[in-house]
Amino acid sequence: MAIATLTHLTYWYPGRVEPALKAVGLAIKDGLTVVAGQSGGGKSTLLRLFNGLVPHFHGGRIAGSAEVVGRDVIATPTRDMARHVGFVFQDPELQTVYNVVDREVAFGLENTAVPRREIAGRVEEALHAAGVAGLAGRAVRTLSGGERQRVALASALAMRPNLVVLDEPTSQLDPEGAEMVLAAVTRLVREGTSVIISEHRLEQLLRQAAGLVLVDRGNVTTADPDGWRPSPPSLRPARLAAPGGEAWSLEHVTVGFGGRPVLDAVDLAGRAGEVVVLSGPNGGGKTTLLRLIAGSLTPLAGNVWRRPGRVAYLPQNPTVLLHRPTVRAEVRFTLERSGEPGQPEAILGELGLLPVADQYPRDLSCGERQRAALAAVLPGSPSCVLLDEPTRGIDSSARGALAALVARLRDRGASVVIATHDNDLRNALADRVINVAGGRVAEVSFAGVPT
Amino acid sequence: MNARAVAAWSACCLFIVLSTTNPVYKIMVLAAALTALAVGAGLRRIRGLLVAVLLIAAFATLLNFVSAHLGATVLFALPDQIPALGGPYTLEALVFGASGGITIAAAILAAAPFSLLLDSHEVMDALPAPLSRTGVAIASSLNLVPAVATSFVEVTEAQRLRGWRPRGPRSWMEVVVPVVLTSVEGSIQLAESMEARGFGSGARTAVAALALQRSDWLLVAASGLALAGFAAARAAGLAADWYAYPSLTLPAIHPWPVAACLLLFTPVLVWRSRR
Repeated sequence: MAIATLTHLTYWYPGRVEPALKAVGLAIKDGLTVVAGQSGGGKSTLLRLFNGLVPHFHGGRIAGSAEVVGRDVIATPTRDMARHVGFVFQDPELQTVYNVVDREVAFGLENTAVPRREIAGRVEEALHAAGVAGLAGRAVRTLSGGERQRVALASALAMRPNLVVLDEPTSQLDPEGAEMVLAAVTRLVREGTSVIISEHRLEQLLRQAAGLVLVDRGNVTTADPDGWRPSPPSLRPARLAAPGGEAWSLEHVTVGFGGRPVLDAVDLAGRAGEVVVLSGPNGGGKTTLLRLIAGSLTPLAGNVWRRPGRVAYLPQNPTVLLHRPTVRAEVRFTLERSGEPGQPEAILGELGLLPVADQYPRDLSCGERQRAALAAVLPGSPSCVLLDEPTRGIDSSARGALAALVARLRDRGASVVIATHDNDLRNALADRVINVAGGRVAEVSFAGVPT
Repeated sequence: MNARAVAAWSACCLFIVLSTTNPVYKIMVLAAALTALAVGAGLRRIRGLLVAVLLIAAFATLLNFVSAHLGATVLFALPDQIPALGGPYTLEALVFGASGGITIAAAILAAAPFSLLLDSHEVMDALPAPLSRTGVAIASSLNLVPAVATSFVEVTEAQRLRGWRPRGPRSWMEVVVPVVLTSVEGSIQLAESMEARGFGSGARTAVAALALQRSDWLLVAASGLALAGFAAARAAGLAADWYAYPSLTLPAIHPWPVAACLLLFTPVLVWRSRR
């Protein structure tokens, strides 16, 4: 039985000539449906259609028809669809209203006027279903990303929806957190809830999927989940030059915030033309290490040294970089500031951004924004490249392009340090892998030893 | 700690501090608020607030000292030809300014338990049902404040590494614009999440506020008594006002309003630490 049916559905965002979804015809069955496709293709737009955020929240024009859990989405406001369709967003930090877990889960129940006497039971049931019964009463700010995202899932489940939609729920999480969320999702499906999920980590989900929807530049097709395989991981780009001398070093460095040490007596160094990958759990100190090397943080003790030259730093939240009117202007801004020759088109082409070069960067999809931020920091010839989770939300082809770009900078003599949970990127680029956890660093044995 | 009991105590503090010009009673309210916060939140947590309050009070004092050229005790004088600043600078203006500074400091510290000692949902639960939705909207937007502070640090760092340097007010636009845009986007995403969970769909059920415990009742009773006692003392002319001009006099005090102000120290007995 179809839980959602779209017929000749076309949708335009406000002020756009090109539709974000083009004449979509789709019937989604009960069970698990996986939505896949390149970033910027329209996955998030399609998912927001199932609970009416598109068009009711985002505005724009829509043609065709959409029926979800027996309701006409175009005629039913999102706040009414909320009783039947639960939605979990990408960023767990930007979907929290209350700061205590139980109250957060009860938020939807309060909004839909569920009788007060029923709320406690419904909250308990939802926390249990999301696998976070033990978090009742905890302050949201004390939770890990994986726990937060499962609380968001519990908030959706508290409404006892017929359908739960998740938009790349693991894109901001470390592998452990992602595993927790995906395990909760697969358990839900086994227990009979229909789920539509957009994800880049497809292997685990495809085994249980009843349907696979592919979205590419607004065109939506279906495929057999058993027969479809995601693109193979990026190849390791050939090294054209051997690593050179020392490019940065930390000597017995201790750093902390508010009296709490984050890194303790760390000794570490990197060479020119070398790629060092930092691994470890969220909150372990990877970002702090990058900020130390960049010179943005002053250590409490010890010495930090870096050879002269431009630092290209991609922060964990790439959006903070973007403020120019176009993607091209962002790249030009960095080139002009660094006084380096070159045209923005080179790096825009490398990262597949030429089609959106003249668009406002904040209008792009999550994955495209990430690539725009990479393009904004990496043009020219930086001597030190520091990337914090550079593959967040980007697809496998963009990951391949990034690996090639970083390899080129490495071969020109840049010293590269990447904090990432992405094993494919690590395998494609790492000369050394450093585990950062609990304030300590330790080199991990890794097959990709430099020549 | 119940938000309604805290509200009763705060309201009483504000009533006394704003209804009298007598600095003795104002200082008593300030001391009560400061002690209550120190007990509930700990001195370390309120250190930043205290510094801010001190600066605001000092500014208020200075402003009156510089602008009110009244009073008999002239400390020094600047030539009248200096616009705005010229004229006599008096002890009376300084003391009256300090009294204003104490008023502001006491008012801020009396309201501070709402943000320092209570969670936003506790405050929302205490609101009457018709204000519940507005309360949710305000509280959820307040949740974004720490995110704005974080994004300011992130943007500044990222822009510095792209070659930005602070060179005059215009250069800060390259930091301020991304911070504002990031905050607006955060708000939109939060609004989207709230809409997806049925916010605005009609009548709400407000989860019941916690019942008042014995200690809360004690605080409400003490606050009520303090308010009634101080109001009665004022009506009877026992809580005399004070004015610094034309020449300084000692403020008059009476045991009844003093007793009413002492009741404001009840949180010291009934609040447990929420550090």
